[in-house]
Amino acid sequence: MSIQNLFDEPGLKQITVWGRGVYENKEARDVVVALTEAASKEGKYIQAWENYVDLPDRIFVPVRAYGKISTEEIESRYVYENEAPDIVVLTEETLVKGINILSGIKPGAVLVINSKRSPEYLIKFIKENTENLSKIVTVDANSLSKSVITLSGAEGATDASGIGKGISAALVAAVVKGTEIVKFDNLLELIANKSVAKKAYDQTIVVDADSIQKKVFA
Amino acid sequence: MKTNIKRMSGCVATANAVKLANVDVICSYPIRPYTGIMSELARMVADGELDAEFVLGEGEHGQLSVVYGASASGARAFTGSSGVGVTYAMEVYSPISGERLPLQMAIADRTLDPPGDFGSEHTDALCCRDQGWIQGWASSPQEALDLTLMYYRIGEDPRVLLPQYACQDGYFVSHILGDVDIPSQEQVDAFLPPYKNHHVLDTKDPVIIGPQMEPEMGPGTQYQRHLAVEGMYKVFEEVHEEFADVFGRKYDPWLEEYMTDDAESVIFLQGGHAETAKNVAKHLRNLGEKVGVVRLRTFRPFPTKQVRETLSKFKVVGVVDNSVNFGISCGAGVLLTEVRAALYNNDKKVETVGFVAGLGGAMITHDEFYKMFDVLKNVAKTGKNEKQSYWLPFEL
Repeated sequence: MSIQNLFDEPGLKQITVWGRGVYENKEARDVVVALTEAASKEGKYIQAWENYVDLPDRIFVPVRAYGKISTEEIESRYVYENEAPDIVVLTEETLVKGINILSGIKPGAVLVINSKRSPEYLIKFIKENTENLSKIVTVDANSLSKSVITLSGAEGATDASGIGKGISAALVAAVVKGTEIVKFDNLLELIANKSVAKKAYDQTIVVDADSIQKKVFA
Repeated sequence: MKTNIKRMSGCVATANAVKLANVDVICSYPIRPYTGIMSELARMVADGELDAEFVLGEGEHGQLSVVYGASASGARAFTGSSGVGVTYAMEVYSPISGERLPLQMAIADRTLDPPGDFGSEHTDALCCRDQGWIQGWASSPQEALDLTLMYYRIGEDPRVLLPQYACQDGYFVSHILGDVDIPSQEQVDAFLPPYKNHHVLDTKDPVIIGPQMEPEMGPGTQYQRHLAVEGMYKVFEEVHEEFADVFGRKYDPWLEEYMTDDAESVIFLQGGHAETAKNVAKHLRNLGEKVGVVRLRTFRPFPTKQVRETLSKFKVVGVVDNSVNFGISCGAGVLLTEVRAALYNNDKKVETVGFVAGLGGAMITHDEFYKMFDVLKNVAKTGKNEKQSYWLPFEL
């Protein structure tokens, strides 16, 4: 028996969203729920979940929500964390500091940041794993909406508060503009605040990671 | 048959089953990972979806005491816990089955201390395995919903009258979403008639439940409970057949077999990790290996006869224990000892190898199952089974 590549999942895309405990748990979860449900409409296999080991009831601690979108049935359902993300989303800009947010990213990965600052400015704070990054995407989600703070939907229970009411509406629009992981129309059907999503889509800035890194670190 | 499929966690699936079972009394106390069941039920009660008495326990011992009293007064009662919460209530389990009160407790597994993390380990529920309760593991959110309904029906059968632990792996089943077909209220009502207690506590006709007994009353009391447990096998089979008729989902009450036709070696285990084992078996089948998976669905009562008959088809069985049983025979776990006991004096010699894996909630990985199958293959080929048990990942 040979184990070489036996359990690889080449059709699998991973989305990791970093947020701040309590204030953005729900927004982080909404990003992966909206994107994966839209992918499900497109016939993909999906999984959306929150990091089980993070401490979501502690204010401002970094917490993670994950999504998986695959062309094949997902066999790595029980793996606790996304080990090789294709898309990384930050619900809040200071997460660029002090955390290895790009750990394990696949070549061609895209980083999406909720910030009014420029990608050129933000990239300076990211110290590790930038070599596999293809694009940096920014959107000023806070100018369009604000975070919905609720425990509804925590611990695997039903979220009775609705999906995409807060900043997640802007963030998912930015993800789609930067990656085309799902069709924007399919996404819009799922999220509560469609006007924020549309505005965010127009305002999102997408830049090539290589060129700004050359410019910034030249 | 009409379906109503929604994506939900094992916690939410269980809560939906509890609602459909129209329980009268719920007693909660928070601990991860089972908490999601109670927060969902609390929402259902608050939103008027479920008319039940929702009691906040002051701890797990209190929780079990509340549902003990509720069940004795004729209510269909539900509670649940995880990890050290399960063991904290230990005193109350035996009186409940001793009084033949068929209440239900959901257990979403969590490791005991140490390591005391949030991860799943079957040790918590298995500590309570011999208390006269029905016990078995769901391996998906759908099965979590189905177990809840089936266990109430079996437990409340007048031939049984015993409480039930409906177990699910913490996180892997309790928190990861799966597709769940939610039955209609009409289907559930047809399957699960209202609970009728045979000795309802009544202030107008007072009786004492749980009085002090004399030693000579002990053997008879315990023998009655033994007979109740031993009499359950037939009821399990009847109820599973009726379940399939009403809901269209057919489960073998005891064992689920996956790719076992002409298999030489199989992995034997219970709970959610079976899903990963099946993935690995599928890949190995594609490579021409004669492997399969057998998943135990009911741990108490233990299906000795069915385990013996089924496992006799194979050369080697790898038994995966997701619990700690320090000092147990062969240095593995309780599942291995049960399987070996079931195979004792069997006409056909079947080799068994124990694997202790996934402790503290670590995922049992595809690679680990692959290595287990490799061990089984070697035992099948050489007939030599020198190292009888392995602790993963350290010894394999």
